[in-house]
Amino acid sequence: MSTVKMEESQLLEWVDKLIALQRVIGVQEKQDHFVYDTLRSASDLRLDHDVTYLPPVKFLFPQREQLIDFKLDEGYESRIESEPFVLLGVHPYDVVAISQMDAIYSTGHEDQHYMSRRRNATIIACDVETPSKNTFAGYMGTATVKEGFDVLLTRIESEYIAEAGSEKGEALLTLVSEGVTSATADHLARREEVWRNNVDKMKQQELKVDPRDWPALLQASYSDPIWEAQANLCFSCGGCNLVCGTCACFDVQDQLNWDLREGTRSRVCDACMVRGFMQVAGGHDFQSQRGMRYRHRFFRKGSYIPERFGFVACTGCGRCTSACVSDIANPVKLYNTLLERHPEVFAHRAEEPAPTQAQETKAPTSVFTLYPTKGWVSKKEGERRDIYLPELATLVRSNPITPTETFYQFSLDSGRALGHEPGQFVMISVMGYGEAPFSITSPPRDDDTFDMVIRKVGTVTTALANLQRGDKVGVRGPFGTAFPVYDELLHKDLVIVAGGLGIVPVRSVILYVLSHREDFGRLTIAYGMRTPSERLFVDDLRRFRREPGVTLLETVDRTEGRWTGSVGPVTTVLPEIGPVTSNTRAIVCGPPVMYRFVLSDLLAMGMPEDHIFLSLERRMKCGLGKCGHCQIHGLYACQDGPVLKYSQLVGLQEAL
Amino acid sequence: MEKPRVAIFDFAGCEGCQLQIINLEEEILVLLQLVDVVEWREGMSHQSSSYDIAIVEGSITRPEDAERLRSIRRQAKWLIALGSCATHGGVNKLRHLLDFDIAAEQVYGEAASQTHLQSEHVRAINEVVDVDSYVFGCPIDAREFAKVVKAIVFGKRPEIPEYPVCVECKLQGIICRYEYGEVCVGPLTRAGCDARCPSAGFRCFGCRGLLEDANVEAAREVMDRYGKTTDELEARMALFNTL
Repeated sequence: MSTVKMEESQLLEWVDKLIALQRVIGVQEKQDHFVYDTLRSASDLRLDHDVTYLPPVKFLFPQREQLIDFKLDEGYESRIESEPFVLLGVHPYDVVAISQMDAIYSTGHEDQHYMSRRRNATIIACDVETPSKNTFAGYMGTATVKEGFDVLLTRIESEYIAEAGSEKGEALLTLVSEGVTSATADHLARREEVWRNNVDKMKQQELKVDPRDWPALLQASYSDPIWEAQANLCFSCGGCNLVCGTCACFDVQDQLNWDLREGTRSRVCDACMVRGFMQVAGGHDFQSQRGMRYRHRFFRKGSYIPERFGFVACTGCGRCTSACVSDIANPVKLYNTLLERHPEVFAHRAEEPAPTQAQETKAPTSVFTLYPTKGWVSKKEGERRDIYLPELATLVRSNPITPTETFYQFSLDSGRALGHEPGQFVMISVMGYGEAPFSITSPPRDDDTFDMVIRKVGTVTTALANLQRGDKVGVRGPFGTAFPVYDELLHKDLVIVAGGLGIVPVRSVILYVLSHREDFGRLTIAYGMRTPSERLFVDDLRRFRREPGVTLLETVDRTEGRWTGSVGPVTTVLPEIGPVTSNTRAIVCGPPVMYRFVLSDLLAMGMPEDHIFLSLERRMKCGLGKCGHCQIHGLYACQDGPVLKYSQLVGLQEAL
Repeated sequence: MEKPRVAIFDFAGCEGCQLQIINLEEEILVLLQLVDVVEWREGMSHQSSSYDIAIVEGSITRPEDAERLRSIRRQAKWLIALGSCATHGGVNKLRHLLDFDIAAEQVYGEAASQTHLQSEHVRAINEVVDVDSYVFGCPIDAREFAKVVKAIVFGKRPEIPEYPVCVECKLQGIICRYEYGEVCVGPLTRAGCDARCPSAGFRCFGCRGLLEDANVEAAREVMDRYGKTTDELEARMALFNTL
């Protein structure tokens, strides 16, 4: 790869040539701040900027973007942007942030909307000339970069060194004017010096905790009252999230045109600090307190992302610090305070050099690195598809089974079988109203139909209730983990404990087991409902009661009419499930409040933690581990769940 | 599908929000294809007592207003509160900071004693009757109004943000007014206006009302950080958020 040196005038000439070729988004001054904006002339470029108000990743993951155009009843079409553009003036900490976003959006299911823009982007980075007052990139290993850019510019007095970091960058450098020469060994040595100096220059805020130690420090601080105390000053405005270069969460919204027939589905940057981020349609908010959300942001960046991707999702830019009106967002202050409050975490290292100095010389103390070393994985063209694009399905039939719940049968228009396993969920779209996750209540089938039972609680469920036979919906999925009826549960005695709507996903298991009776042992079903008239699947229940080898234990919270059965919570009937042996496996599914009591009873009956399977409800929005709404500590309910073993959740306070 | 019948009513207010509806111009023609407007003093001469959607502007300041509003509520299947005066009282409630008689005299002079000018404690619409939808703002944003009506016609709950104006500032990269040494009530105020005032270089005046969970205590605490006093904060909040 080439490394050339240019006079400033030659650099500007080169930039003007780029501007003539394609859209160049460069750093400019606007009022008294720096911003990325379309560059009209190289003379507007400000490579001496300290930091931009918003990070350059907003041009890859915009604040609002249209994902899909839809026509009700006709179909949906992805909108994928493919205009090439240049991002010019990207500081090293932002180059790293973009690499992190690449990892998040390309790992597993590739996000085509982001990645198409990314593939069309050329990144011209530049080393920092003026450090911003809140930066701590020097401690984060992000003050300089060796990769992740197409071209890297470094100012050395009145000259610039430009190094190509990719074929794309190499091609751009062929556009430099005549007279530009290769950088000499002396230039390169002086660049090394700039890099060394920049590590120190980018330590404007003194961070006393090596980022590699953040996860351990956070784990020790989970129950610290500091989260709530700090959050008392939080406006839940999400400012820290929205100016962050590594915040990747989003919400999805439908807009309808005036004709009420066509519209678009968009995604907007979302913020986990904003109230309702983890609220489900029924109203339960898994992070209803400011303190919980405030802690979540730090844990997501300093623990959950490192666990999952191997890097700390902070690059030390200091934007959150600047954006926070209350001055509670600054990671440096927070981690330094945590260190003071929890010195025991690093007590065993007392003999070793202090972590911050160790960073440059010592090997990482934990398994992860500071940022992704490999760029995104390029997938073959044919493997790319829009993971957010639903396929059409038709409502075959629907009938109300209680005053609030309706049974729906859909068939996929493609004729394919859904191919789900018991316990999985699908995302159902009623275009114009939105998309929501629902459990599948039918067992795996060979034909193109599947069934759901849905309670009318929100916008999408109300829209579903108004559908007529033959109406279209969008379907994505199946998603998530299943109850392992094909392996771990085979030949086991099963105890199924369901409360309320929890019967919906486990019905899929029950029906599967009943049609493969020889593959399973005894089946005991404990089902609790609020009142007798609200019981779901009464015909099924009648049938279960008659099946040989099946015990059905029912109970209701409140009796009414001629109910002669048990009254009380579902735990009332648990003593009747019979002896728990090493061959027994439990499946538990119900409202959040039910789990604690049922689990403690099952454990008391001698059931090991890894013999209990649960299904958790969360606000799945994308179903693919991208949007961030269903996070439970380091787990994504949509990918690692919804079905989880209790042993996976022990110690995870936010899970149950 | 039969078009929903819409009636628009006004109480104490400047009628500026209704004017905003008229300002929709082209879009209003599209909107009129979705609904039948059967009563609108500001926009038409015809009156009707039969309607599905009632759009109510202004605050309730007299007993007879409250009675009229209740009768509107009885008629309407869906009631929309239009603009700050209707949604939470808005500037009308500034009067609560004054002695009523003095205020009346300042405004009406010698006429202050006339019976039709007698007024009582100012109430927002939802302090008198149940409200189904809100269109916030002083004045309302006409496009948001159109969005709300469209959603109702489509049978969808209108999505009105319940987060601070700061969200919309940050999304647009608008520099925080606190950086300019101003006391902005954006952190306490319901968004949805696309940060209209900050994007024009003004602080947020709080016209869309305080958020349900507005962290007023935090705002008091941070005044010190900017060399401001809680009195200054309260003075800024008073314009649209006097109780």
